[in-house]
Amino acid sequence: MRALRIGFLLGFRQIQRANFWTTALIIFVMMLTFLNLIAVSGILVGLIVGSERSFQEQSSGDLLITPLDNEDKILQTETIIRTLDTIPEIVSYSVRYQQGGQVTANYQTRRDFTIDPNTIGARIQGIDPISENQVTNLSRNVVEGEYLNPDESGYILIGALNLKRYTAGFADISGTLEDLFPGDTVRVSVNGATREFTIKGIVNAKAGDVASVIYMPELELRRLSSSVSRDADAIAIRLVDGSNSTGLAVQNILLEQGLGEFAKIRTFQEALPKFLTDIKNTFSILGTFIGAVGIIVASITIFIIIFINAISRRQQIGILKGIGIDKRAIEVAYVLQSAFYALLGSLLGVLVTYGFLVGYFDRNPIDFPFSDGILVADPTQTLYRFIILFIITLFAGFIPAWLIVKQNTLNSILGRK
Amino acid sequence: MTNIITATNIHRSFGEGPLKAHILKGIDVTVEQGEFVAIMGKSGAGKSTLMYQLSVLDEPTSGDIEINNVCVSQLSENERTAFRLNTLGYVFQNYALVPDLSAEENVMLPLLMAGQTWEQARARAHHSLDNVGLDGKYRNLPSTLSGGEQQRVAIARALSGKPKIIFADEPTANLDSVSGTQVIELLARLHRENNQTIVMVTHEREYALGCDRIIHMEDGLVTEIEQLT
Repeated sequence: MRALRIGFLLGFRQIQRANFWTTALIIFVMMLTFLNLIAVSGILVGLIVGSERSFQEQSSGDLLITPLDNEDKILQTETIIRTLDTIPEIVSYSVRYQQGGQVTANYQTRRDFTIDPNTIGARIQGIDPISENQVTNLSRNVVEGEYLNPDESGYILIGALNLKRYTAGFADISGTLEDLFPGDTVRVSVNGATREFTIKGIVNAKAGDVASVIYMPELELRRLSSSVSRDADAIAIRLVDGSNSTGLAVQNILLEQGLGEFAKIRTFQEALPKFLTDIKNTFSILGTFIGAVGIIVASITIFIIIFINAISRRQQIGILKGIGIDKRAIEVAYVLQSAFYALLGSLLGVLVTYGFLVGYFDRNPIDFPFSDGILVADPTQTLYRFIILFIITLFAGFIPAWLIVKQNTLNSILGRK
Repeated sequence: MTNIITATNIHRSFGEGPLKAHILKGIDVTVEQGEFVAIMGKSGAGKSTLMYQLSVLDEPTSGDIEINNVCVSQLSENERTAFRLNTLGYVFQNYALVPDLSAEENVMLPLLMAGQTWEQARARAHHSLDNVGLDGKYRNLPSTLSGGEQQRVAIARALSGKPKIIFADEPTANLDSVSGTQVIELLARLHRENNQTIVMVTHEREYALGCDRIIHMEDGLVTEIEQLT
């Protein structure tokens, strides 16, 4: 206790009398280290979390029903829909029908038949425009033209990834359509039947395959493909809240009602594309690695600062020991300084992270090819990382102090090696 | 009078093999309770080395030292630190004050370490500073004090714990003659008024003349003991 008291007095006075700008610089370095620990990994993970959020909000909904692994379509779709209507937690759902087809753009203007027609293979999705919009806000993703009107016929929405001007040459394998704008007409062929449609709008989004699909009202697709089956390809469900617990609860209700025999019922997390979860894990490891490097750099920085501080006061340390001050008191003084730097640096880091960076990245997400990256700074994770940084900093402060304090007292006083 | 320091056959050497330097070559010294002793000698005579042995800052290569009936040679490092705190006081030639602490805090430091409360230590520090003529300079940092004043703070610190013995290692070395004389007079007054045992190393005879005894050294040996009183 005495050693602690003396240590606090010595440490506090050293901090108090230290050069202001030197102290400010050390604290600034500690703040950058803390930000490196929190923000870099937070942004890396945030890129994927942003993508997950987009997938949930714009593609899958909170729950997604898809065909069983050995089936092409959702079985007993009508039965499933009737069940969905009875569950109060379900706000809306969108039944999606899908067909493979072809879209041709330049059939009206093509005069040279030695040139290949501007045709692409595409997935054509039949939707109820109102239901789909309720679940995924598809209309918000219309970047050109307008959203589908359920009372109109002969219109489609075209995903931007099918257009050359949006893909910048990245879609060479699947091909793209050239010079298409809202109001232009295209030929859509499904199951050998062809019909002319007017492009009502162009859809672009970074979530799932939203931007790679051709959308038309479900009735139009049924007419075009002459399909009589009512079995759907996907049902996206929006719940009263998007929490994981509600998703699991409704999933359980549906499974308890035996619907698992007809289709796969998954929460949006379960339905996430595997590459997303893989990248998330990789980025998380990368973030941790970068954070660990940051901690090592910080601890070395603190070690050097305290070592220089202690070695420059070696004679003073010797004299303190000489007049009977316990070596633990001297060590406490230096550990206290490390704690001060770590605490203040981390505090500033927390203020910058939660007072500025999180809000800034929410308002100005990072434009990543497959997501809008945000800064994910979970308070619990932040606390853990602060504790790790703090403890390591204490050790980094203690070791140089211990190295100097343990030297021979008289040699320290006389400045001998 | 009883001996407070008894040093028997003290040897101290540094280095190994052909580079070995034998600084103290078998010294027997005693200091009585309440005595003011000066150790004098030319540079390299071994006077500071002897004082470091007597003041438990260093350990002799061989020989025994008994201080206040404690055989210090047998103490562990931590016990030696505690012994120095409770029994000895130090005045170094370069003042050896903690630059970040005020005059009163420098004096309070060993008192707090000895277990006194903040208030007790502060009161005692003020008393000690008053005693060396530094009343009104309690809050001054060492850098704002003259060399003589800093040395008086060091003396106040050495005195504050009421040590059995004060060791002063060339306390006037960094001072001008006026300040040096003041410091010596201060030590002499403390010795007279408090019957304080003081062992002082100096190379200036005029400063040693106020002592009870002068131990003359040359080439690691005591060559003469001059009784002044």
